[in-house]
Amino acid sequence: MKLSRRHFLAGGAACAAIPVATLVTAEEEKTGKNLALVFDQTKCIGCEACSQACREANNVPAQVSRLNIVREGPYGEGNDKHYRFDRQSCVHCETAPCIAVCPTGACFRDEDGVVDVTANRCVGCQYCIAACPYRVRYVDPETKAVDKCDLCRKTRLKEGKLPACVEACPTQAVVFGDLNDPKSDVAKLLRAKQTYRDKVSLGTKPKLYKVPHGKGKVI
Amino acid sequence: MDNAISSALHFETMVWPWPIAIYLFLAGVSAGAVLIGIAVKLYRESRGQIGYESGIVKGMALIAPIAVIIGLAILIIDLTKPLEFWKMMIYWNPSSVMFWGVMLLSVYIMVLFLFLAAVFYTPLMAIDRRYPIVGTVLALLKRFEKPMQTSMIFLAIAVGAYTGFLLSALKAFPIFNNPVLPILFLVSGASSGAAATMLFGMLCFKEKADSQDIHFVHKIEKPVLMTEIFLLFAFFLGLVFAGGVSAEAARVALMGDFWSYIFWGGVVFCGMVLPWLLQWFSPRSLTHKPGFVAALCVLSLSGVFALRHFILYAGQMTAI
Repeated sequence: MKLSRRHFLAGGAACAAIPVATLVTAEEEKTGKNLALVFDQTKCIGCEACSQACREANNVPAQVSRLNIVREGPYGEGNDKHYRFDRQSCVHCETAPCIAVCPTGACFRDEDGVVDVTANRCVGCQYCIAACPYRVRYVDPETKAVDKCDLCRKTRLKEGKLPACVEACPTQAVVFGDLNDPKSDVAKLLRAKQTYRDKVSLGTKPKLYKVPHGKGKVI
Repeated sequence: MDNAISSALHFETMVWPWPIAIYLFLAGVSAGAVLIGIAVKLYRESRGQIGYESGIVKGMALIAPIAVIIGLAILIIDLTKPLEFWKMMIYWNPSSVMFWGVMLLSVYIMVLFLFLAAVFYTPLMAIDRRYPIVGTVLALLKRFEKPMQTSMIFLAIAVGAYTGFLLSALKAFPIFNNPVLPILFLVSGASSGAAATMLFGMLCFKEKADSQDIHFVHKIEKPVLMTEIFLLFAFFLGLVFAGGVSAEAARVALMGDFWSYIFWGGVVFCGMVLPWLLQWFSPRSLTHKPGFVAALCVLSLSGVFALRHFILYAGQMTAI
């Protein structure tokens, strides 16, 4: 078979398009928002008002939860005795493994960068639950579809309100906003404070930033 | 002990339970049976014998479709919404390994049935006497036997490897997220296919334990098993060399509690060492007994069955 230069290039481009197509989806909608959260571990007091507010706002069934505050400690002695609190919830990855593995395309990212699930497209294979490195997905016992934090996009965001956890927090430990807007609260906070994100080495580009606790561990 | 077993079967990072392991096993058996069946068929044809008269080829025709269909049925029942499985056919996501698996298995099952109809053309022509239309269709299929056979080889390799890719896409688990896994599943699938076709060839189709075809399958089995051992070695050595969580995953899997016993006792001893010791050290009068060959087949099948469970559970125990 004679392979012309043109055919060779066309074939090569077609092959290259397959992996690129999956990468490009993460970059598209540059004009839209890119919503994110910052969780300040120096401010969290572990009251769990956030997870309670989340449950009420989104009607989360009692057996499962979208947002957990993980307590570690106590560390230190006497007056220095303290706990560490961490937030466990969907980090809304920019290259989300759940979206990549979902066979039906039920997992998706909306135009504002929020990762969500279309319940009636989900067949419940649970591939996304296994694929998520952050272990924040669950099967909703009522709908039988996989669900998780959607930054309240179906409930409060639509009404122009903040996500329930952000509004409920008595110490303003959770900050919400648009990474693409330099004047947003999250952008300001990320410029001012040192933050980290979990499991960045996996290439997931998570959007739950965490202000580190700051205090050392007693060994 | 009950507590130890319960903690080995239910732990925090576990998402996919045993039905998935059974599916991985059955898909591997089906793909392996097709590869071995076609090898025996080609071998017979090269010697001027008729392919479909072999008990091995008949065993393949029985076990390959049944295994994959039962496997898929288990997979569908395991969905949280089993009745909505058809949505996997109409909603597409080309970046998902499972999407490609659904497409692949649909084509695989379809071509498998058409191919089997072509292979068993002569015996099936008996139906033609009552329904002439069947003969016309069969004659058409018979003409495409060769291209279908070639496609079946590629499809079977794809199905065998697919079950590995399904797991290796899970990047948070070092034992899954490993490039050796699809090859390991393909090769161990081939050895389970060899065992299954021999077993069912003897049980259901009166294949003799010392027949030429059984000898031929035994001859293929040796390099397949050696490759499998090397792949297991490379698999775990690679994890150890990767260090960190990967090395920890290998340590938990090979030197931990329950699942390491399954590996050393089930996969390595029952599935590999014992059948070969028996094969080598038994007198010739025994190795030609159907019961003996069947026992070896059952041993190596249970070894592969144990391997799928071991990989699935031990793999989920250690996450990044």
